[in-house]
Amino acid sequence: MDDVTIRLGARGLSKAYGAVEANRDISLDVAPAQIHAIVGENGAGKSTLMRCLQGIERPDAGTIIVDDNEVTFTQPQQALNLGIGMVHQEFMLAPDLTLLENLVLGDEPERVSLGVLSRVDWGVARTSGETLAAQAGVTIDWSRRSASAPVHVQQFVEILRLLRRGTRILILDEPTAVLAPQQVDDLFALLRRLRDGGTTILFISHKLREVTALADRVTVLRRGEVTYQAAISDTDVDTIASHIVGGGDSSVAPVRRASNRSSVGASVFDVTGLSVPSIDKSHALHDVHLSVKEGEIVGIAGVAGNGQDELVECLVGLRAPGDGQVRLRDADITRASNTERRARGIAYISADRRHEGLAIDASVEANVIAGSQRSATLKRGYFLSAARIRALARDRLERLNVTFGSLKSPASSLSGGNQQRLVFARETDGDPSFMMAAQPTRGVDIRGIEAIHRILWDFRDRGGAVLLVSEEMDELLALSDRILVMSDGRIVGEVEGDKADPQSIGRLMVLQDREPEPAHV
Amino acid sequence: MIVEQVLAASVIMTTPILLAAMGGLVNRRAGIVNIALDAKMLVGAFVAVVVSSATGGWFVAVLAAAFAGAFVGYLFALVITRANANMIVAGLGLNVLVAGVLGFILSWVYDSSGTLRLPDVVLLPHILPQSLEAIPVVGEALADLDPLTVFAWASVAVLPFLLASTRIGLWLRATGNAPQVARAVGLPQNGIKEFSTAFAGFFSGLGGAHLALASIGLFNEGLTAGRGFIALAAFYFGRDRPVVTALVCLLFGFLEATQIRMQTAGLPPKLVGTIPYLFVLVALCLAGFRNQRRKALS
Repeated sequence: MDDVTIRLGARGLSKAYGAVEANRDISLDVAPAQIHAIVGENGAGKSTLMRCLQGIERPDAGTIIVDDNEVTFTQPQQALNLGIGMVHQEFMLAPDLTLLENLVLGDEPERVSLGVLSRVDWGVARTSGETLAAQAGVTIDWSRRSASAPVHVQQFVEILRLLRRGTRILILDEPTAVLAPQQVDDLFALLRRLRDGGTTILFISHKLREVTALADRVTVLRRGEVTYQAAISDTDVDTIASHIVGGGDSSVAPVRRASNRSSVGASVFDVTGLSVPSIDKSHALHDVHLSVKEGEIVGIAGVAGNGQDELVECLVGLRAPGDGQVRLRDADITRASNTERRARGIAYISADRRHEGLAIDASVEANVIAGSQRSATLKRGYFLSAARIRALARDRLERLNVTFGSLKSPASSLSGGNQQRLVFARETDGDPSFMMAAQPTRGVDIRGIEAIHRILWDFRDRGGAVLLVSEEMDELLALSDRILVMSDGRIVGEVEGDKADPQSIGRLMVLQDREPEPAHV
Repeated sequence: MIVEQVLAASVIMTTPILLAAMGGLVNRRAGIVNIALDAKMLVGAFVAVVVSSATGGWFVAVLAAAFAGAFVGYLFALVITRANANMIVAGLGLNVLVAGVLGFILSWVYDSSGTLRLPDVVLLPHILPQSLEAIPVVGEALADLDPLTVFAWASVAVLPFLLASTRIGLWLRATGNAPQVARAVGLPQNGIKEFSTAFAGFFSGLGGAHLALASIGLFNEGLTAGRGFIALAAFYFGRDRPVVTALVCLLFGFLEATQIRMQTAGLPPKLVGTIPYLFVLVALCLAGFRNQRRKALS
């Protein structure tokens, strides 16, 4: 064995995308033959860090260390040559090729070398596959078409392919996201065997039970910075969870503005017994009950990917519910289309601003009047009137102080905060009674965040009902009058806004994680 | 008598479609839907006639036609891989461009409109002794057998092995099936696509040479009569598998042969002439239904 102390590491690594600092001064040591877990919420900077370690991104500052030496990657091939390989969430296997063909693709054994015309020696290929599988303690039916093989077997093959090509440092990006419990056990057994055989493993996850079960060390990322590092034997799930959700940091936490409780009125939006089956890779919802009253902001907290997206889609009419009822005031809108829901007074702030919230390449004007194009106020005779469109657009934009160059410039020319304000300007016009706000401040800078929070408060204080889905704990705490905690497609807890603290919510978020649904194999 | 003639004609009519289809199939396996097979056949036919007349050698003519097709195919591939053109639009463009350029050359160089008759055009030889004609049923077909037909069917036999077991075959399938995987494992994707398109051009060029040199010995602007598209339908229906595709080509060849036979029997020729194309439509519809069912099942 070589006597290396750091197999893979980072020193003061920083990487910014525009104004967003995805990684800030990150330092990390991974010893040889160790399983090191990286945990953190979505957007905490895990992916950026991994991309830097693989040479896909070049860090703005700081260095990467491989085998105690500082290295600079200018292209991914260099990382590969040093034995760094990544298993992606979406597996990199060609679906129509067999598992064996996928194993050797790009590095095929041959009996006689005739360049590209060489006949691939499938006998040698199979033997090397069998040997690798035996070392890893798994059995694989190599002649099977990849697409028809169970997901965990596809994952095994991808790992074996990396090992066959000389990978000594294996990076796995949320490898258990697609696996059933039994498959997770098999994967962990394989990873432990590989570690014991000398492979170093970097394991990205946000399932803490898995981290404590598998890893030797853990590093917590939050908002691009390392907030915690410890050996698994010296820590526990509670401690890790509190570092993931953070919240104690009052300097960045937005100020809370409580509602005037007396103004909370009748129930506006009611969901009873809502269930949705899992389709493709979507998460199922189980018996969700919730209600939002006039003059109230209800927050939904949860680790990303626990059914929040599906819930939002159901409530705004983009996904058909399997069972249950959705009511807006006295009307049953369970089966109503998105258009009909909007007409009845539902506003929707999409989490995906670039694709769903805005037509990003269309003009500011078109974006801000979108949805009103059939309204009589915009028409003169049978045709839309350019002057009236301009007037309405200006009116809406000015009401929320959106800063823009020209009405005709594309929405993409606006800053993130102004783009989102534009969405609010469109959605709050016409006095909707209920607003579904999903990740309203994602990718928005601090000043923009304040402005958006003020818009939400104003809307609430005028008697509007808001359902807020957010991954930002501070935001939920600052805005919500009540917080519902979602886990595995269920509402698992409710906390009053003024009594909520990040620790108790964080515990509900991560500790209620039940046995995952069996993945579709 | 009729059976013998129709069988012999079917085999001959199948060859150009079969060659183009084998080329297009390999191309599609690598991820390029080549709708410009017809253009390359036309180029092949033209070059074959010109070279055959100039050199008096059928083999040189066939080879020249194949390389002309491969060259056009390679240029076509560059437009798609390096200049990022849409393959359907580029294919459409190539079909129109080739027809235009050949028409121009015909009138400018040969001062003819539409048809090119050159002296001393050497046709493809028959490789078996003509005495075989005496054998019942298959005799006439055997006696008419030419080298390109043999080559075409030999390629049907060899291609499955090349695709399954050689490095280039594996790379080709990986590139077409999962481009992001091919990129991740470092395959030269553009090179593979260009090779496969040149390969399709080579085979289409051979198909064109067969059209021109099998019996008529002249070039005509409408010579291919959409056979490149029939080939496209054949490998779509055969789901890119050489043997099934070849059988579909044989069916189309048979339809063409009977169609000609029916014309001589006094049925309205233009109407009867549409039969093969009608079947192309039927085949594509069937392929569509089948794919839909597969998707629904999985």
